[in-house]
Amino acid sequence: MPALETEVLVVGGGSTGVGVVRDAAMRGLSTVLVERGDLAVGTTGRFHGLLHSGGRYAVKDPLAAVECVAENAILRRTAADCIEDTGGLFVTTKWDDPAFGDEFERGCRDTGVPVEEIPVKEALALEPRLDRSISRAFAVPDASLDPWKLVSGCARSAREHGARILPYHRVLELERRSGRVLGARVESALTGDEVRIRANVVVNAAGAWAGQIAELAGCKVTILPGKGIMIAMNHRLVNTVVNRCKPPADGDIIVPIRTVSVIGTTDTRVAHPDELEVSQQEIDEMLDEGEKLVPGFREARALRVWAGARPLFSAEDVSDTREVSRSHALLDHAERDGVEGLITITGGKTTTFRLMAEAAVDAVCAHLGVDRPCRTHEEPLPGSEEGRFYWLGSRVQAQEPVPRSEEIICECELITRDRLKAAMVTRPTTNLDDIRRMLRLGMGPCQGGFCIYRATGMLHKYERLDSRAANASLLDFLQERWKGVHPILHGDQLRQASLDDWIFQGLLAVQHLPE
Amino acid sequence: MTELVRDSLDHCVKCTICETFCPFSQATPLFPGPKYVGPQAERYRAGAASPDVSVDYCSGCGICTRVCPQGVKIAEINSRARARLWEEQGIPLRNQLIARPSVLGRLGTPVAPLANWTLRNRPLRWVGERVLGVHRHAPLPRFAGRTFQRWAKRHVSPAAERTVVYFHACGTNYYEPAVGRMTVEVLEHNGFHVVVPPQDCCGLPLQSNGNFPAARAYVRRLAARLAPYARDGCAIVTNSTSCGLMLKREAQEILDLEDEDVRVVSEAMFDLCEFLLLLHEHGELRTEFLPLPLTVPYHAPCQQQSHGIDKPALDLFSLIPQLEAIELDADCCGVAGTYGLKKEKYEISMAVGERLFDQVREAEADVAACDSETCRWQIEYGSGVHAVHPVELLHRAYGLGEP
Amino acid sequence: MTYDVVVIGAGLAGLASALRLADEGLHVLVVAKGVGGTHLAPATIDVLGYADGRVESPARALPEFVAAHPEHPYGRVSVELIRASLEWIRERLDGLGYRGGLEENVLLPTAVGVAKPTALVPQTMAAGDLRAGGRFVFVGLGGLKDFYPAYLAENLARAELPNGASVSARALELGLPLGREGDVSGTGFARRFEQSAFRDQVVRGLEQRLVPGEIVGFPAVLGFRHAQEVWQELETRLRHPVFEVPTLPPSVGGIRVFERLTAALRRKGARVVVGTTVSGSEHNRKTLEGVVTQTAGRPRTYRARSFVLASGGFASGGLQMDSYGRVRETAFELALAGLPAPGGQRFEPGYFDEQPLDGAGLAVDDALRPLDPAGAPAFENLHAAGATLAGATPWREASGNGISLATGYAAASAILERMS
Repeated sequence: MPALETEVLVVGGGSTGVGVVRDAAMRGLSTVLVERGDLAVGTTGRFHGLLHSGGRYAVKDPLAAVECVAENAILRRTAADCIEDTGGLFVTTKWDDPAFGDEFERGCRDTGVPVEEIPVKEALALEPRLDRSISRAFAVPDASLDPWKLVSGCARSAREHGARILPYHRVLELERRSGRVLGARVESALTGDEVRIRANVVVNAAGAWAGQIAELAGCKVTILPGKGIMIAMNHRLVNTVVNRCKPPADGDIIVPIRTVSVIGTTDTRVAHPDELEVSQQEIDEMLDEGEKLVPGFREARALRVWAGARPLFSAEDVSDTREVSRSHALLDHAERDGVEGLITITGGKTTTFRLMAEAAVDAVCAHLGVDRPCRTHEEPLPGSEEGRFYWLGSRVQAQEPVPRSEEIICECELITRDRLKAAMVTRPTTNLDDIRRMLRLGMGPCQGGFCIYRATGMLHKYERLDSRAANASLLDFLQERWKGVHPILHGDQLRQASLDDWIFQGLLAVQHLPE
Repeated sequence: MTELVRDSLDHCVKCTICETFCPFSQATPLFPGPKYVGPQAERYRAGAASPDVSVDYCSGCGICTRVCPQGVKIAEINSRARARLWEEQGIPLRNQLIARPSVLGRLGTPVAPLANWTLRNRPLRWVGERVLGVHRHAPLPRFAGRTFQRWAKRHVSPAAERTVVYFHACGTNYYEPAVGRMTVEVLEHNGFHVVVPPQDCCGLPLQSNGNFPAARAYVRRLAARLAPYARDGCAIVTNSTSCGLMLKREAQEILDLEDEDVRVVSEAMFDLCEFLLLLHEHGELRTEFLPLPLTVPYHAPCQQQSHGIDKPALDLFSLIPQLEAIELDADCCGVAGTYGLKKEKYEISMAVGERLFDQVREAEADVAACDSETCRWQIEYGSGVHAVHPVELLHRAYGLGEP
Repeated sequence: MTYDVVVIGAGLAGLASALRLADEGLHVLVVAKGVGGTHLAPATIDVLGYADGRVESPARALPEFVAAHPEHPYGRVSVELIRASLEWIRERLDGLGYRGGLEENVLLPTAVGVAKPTALVPQTMAAGDLRAGGRFVFVGLGGLKDFYPAYLAENLARAELPNGASVSARALELGLPLGREGDVSGTGFARRFEQSAFRDQVVRGLEQRLVPGEIVGFPAVLGFRHAQEVWQELETRLRHPVFEVPTLPPSVGGIRVFERLTAALRRKGARVVVGTTVSGSEHNRKTLEGVVTQTAGRPRTYRARSFVLASGGFASGGLQMDSYGRVRETAFELALAGLPAPGGQRFEPGYFDEQPLDGAGLAVDDALRPLDPAGAPAFENLHAAGATLAGATPWREASGNGISLATGYAAASAILERMS
């Protein structure tokens, strides 16, 4: 069995994990990251897309708010390309208590969240789709954050500093001797090969699955998976992040991210982070909440629904997961469980991933007896060096002035053939779903109706797959897409799905592809 | 209204039918097609800076909206995106000029012979192309010298039981006053007292060139003049089918105008052939027509088809003995108002119109018919065949005198 | 305006119905809110391709199929009528050289290489018949992103064919000069194929690369009005059989059908108004008197003695479901059959499973008239045809155009019968 030696082994390829591996590598430590699936396939890839100003936590969770304020500013400096500076609004609808606005404003000032009450007229001019009966509006520096750019930027930076990043490697066992974690035995999901990784310190950054990883070392870490559902609406009903000005509840935020606007979310305790079913009732409630902010929400086109599991860490058991702090927790298992060589970093949210990573790597350094300063708060991610925020129009502008001078494979999301080919050729997997998450292939209105056939043909053409594997990729994509689409299928999206049925089953007859 | 147009992009299922029918994207690689520029790119426009200039190559012909099976208001989305683009870039002098036909009309009319000579003088047209950007071959109409308004002021319309209001539009006033006279005579022949109120441009060319504030001002002024008649229950009739569409719908939908006068006028607005056919359906149209043994190729302009009222001109022609109207099936003449006049768009415009010109020529007729004046000028230029508004043939068949 | 018949919908069902009526001298108006059906579906007429496995002979399979699916639109028309409708369309689309029939399905390759059954095939696609096996070469065109011949060929070589026939298939790529465009649609290529200089390039690029005995498959882009001549020229100059494979919309073959049907309608004096939506009706108890259509201004009513509703299913908006799960027929708010129970599961989790909404649509009597909840015709002079009808899952059965054609034809027949 091949073996790797490293100082730090990070388990988990979400924002926390890649944050840790980047920070550690930048501090000169040798690092390896393993992730059982593709990077960001867990909670990070399913979150709302919100770079918090902290306003949401200003009243109920001041510690989390303070963290958000600092990290918001840091990420704007260091990860500008991953962020669209949409700004944010907290609005008081006729269903909300106007007095809460004062509490909100106080909470913001106390925690340092930049806030300004603006005239309702101004808010409505900025966002004409909002319910005209709103009574108050506050501006805050919310923004939208692209998780794949963030994660791939961190991974790239980590690699540039010498880290090794191994997606599709599942941890089978944490190897221990005499109360010390020595490393891990992992298995490649693609080849089945096993690798043994020796590490001085293992950092458990497995997010909602951190409890399972800790258990491999005989440690009990109770993570309460808090399921949240989100619905992507076909176009940006608002161009600013819009929050209800009330104590946090379900469906009270709409985030414009890339070409869609996402409404979320809920917070339901589930038994297992992989158990992410979405019910019709949850969807109806979300649509109704959307209607309160944006009249006509129910008639607007819903593209897709998905759920993510928040990793909520609580020292005690609680019933309402919304009561658990969104701040993070750093667990040194040597102190806590008598198991050396293992640190768990859990809880938190994507906005504070860098801070969590810093805390974890500080603990790692203490463990290793070295004193290396963190620089992730000042060094920009690759791609964000110029400090320019992402601009929504960039994909369209990139095609100008002669827009069809190269083949555009996914027209909804303006992905060119060269871009797709590069992604296919350089990735370890040929899973169309992974490519979808990375490039947004098939995430536009047609949900792959036109581009997935093209992408499958390309996968085959550039010799990544034979026809059997290409067929499987196509059929898997269709099933995966259906999972996210059928719960909110009505109106325009149902029309689209019908057309897509005609294309895939009627015209192409994919259900009769040879075995 | 704003959101009704933009939100219609939700209906797009990427079926590509609009692209199949768009004649302009077929003629130039600079225009990627209505689906691309409309519902697709609109998702990337967050209200502020416009990311794409290719939207300017959309002609606004409206064929895409018409053929879209899902109800996406594609041409309207494009129109608004174009306005945002020009608002940002600043509208060039040329566009400001050619978008104000009534201003040009007022300037050229007193010096009509000179103006006409200038516009036909090759070296001067060449200079005009260099300096202004109006293509030297673009078909420009001749100033009539005597406006239709002048004739209308002197004309006494016989009293009658019913009154109709005539919105003649700029083309009739400055370039084709004879068509205006024929319209009035045909209406009077059918028992109407015809009122021609003082009026100005409807703002359509300003809208198509992206100057929404100026367009709104013109529409409001025009609607204010026409609204009292509409409120009185009068129908308002126009022979300029594109201006009629502007007042029926586009002013409210594209310019986002919420104005009572505009609304009231839109409800009273009729295209001339539409009005005459309705009279006929109620048994109120005089049908003693003289035979006109002519073969007449008929082109329904894009904007006429956007009225959604079928092609009433064809039904009217069928009432004239021995007149054989041929319904041409070419999509667009290419001029699209002011689009084909522009230096950078002229070739595209001619390429688009070629099929129509061929069909007109193949009909081997002496005269073609078409409801829009700018289309008529383009058809004459492209095919060499004289083109008239359908009302001219009705006028002739009624025996109301030589035009 | 008063007509003999108003047809709502300009897909194959609507146009076929309208033309059959216009052929018999009736004054017909077609109103449609847009163009659809023909441009999205391939040009073949699929009568019945799958019913418990692949169907070899629709003529033999239909009786059993109808017995097993009594709510299916084919249960409202006889096999003779289906046959008659095929004959009729073959004749009316004479210039496209349709061949085939109910006796035996042809097997044609789809763009992913599935051997798919269909009944009536235009001449330009006929050489792709897989039933006898053969050696095929598929040609990809640089700049056309809607065709992947290598993928197609590899799947096709593994296709299960009747009587032990086998197919070998390979792929070629042709690079052709496209000017400034790097991304040319199928229609863009179709226009280019109608230019002789372009065809010269195609022939030159291929002639040395073909193996004797090979059948050459192009994506379906071989021209519009002159498709027959283009195809013929390619066969002659390449000295190989040539055929087209339909690919993603827009369907060039379908566009040819649309253009011919609408031209034929115009020649017969019918009117086709595209871009106008039916927003209501005028009726006198059980007699439909007129349809109200939206225009740029005030609504316009068209009156007629009979009406055909061919507005399509969910894909075209003829049927709609809102966010509360309420389904409606959008032109006349007619009662619908085949709906899932309210509050019940709307969709099954498996994409390829049978879905609760699959068979939703209009239940009709033997004259193709939509029925009210009591089971009587909603209007005695309103007929329905095509994908709006209940009881079918055309994309799975491979029956789409067959249902449209047969029921459109049948609706016209019923009207003609009533009027005589």
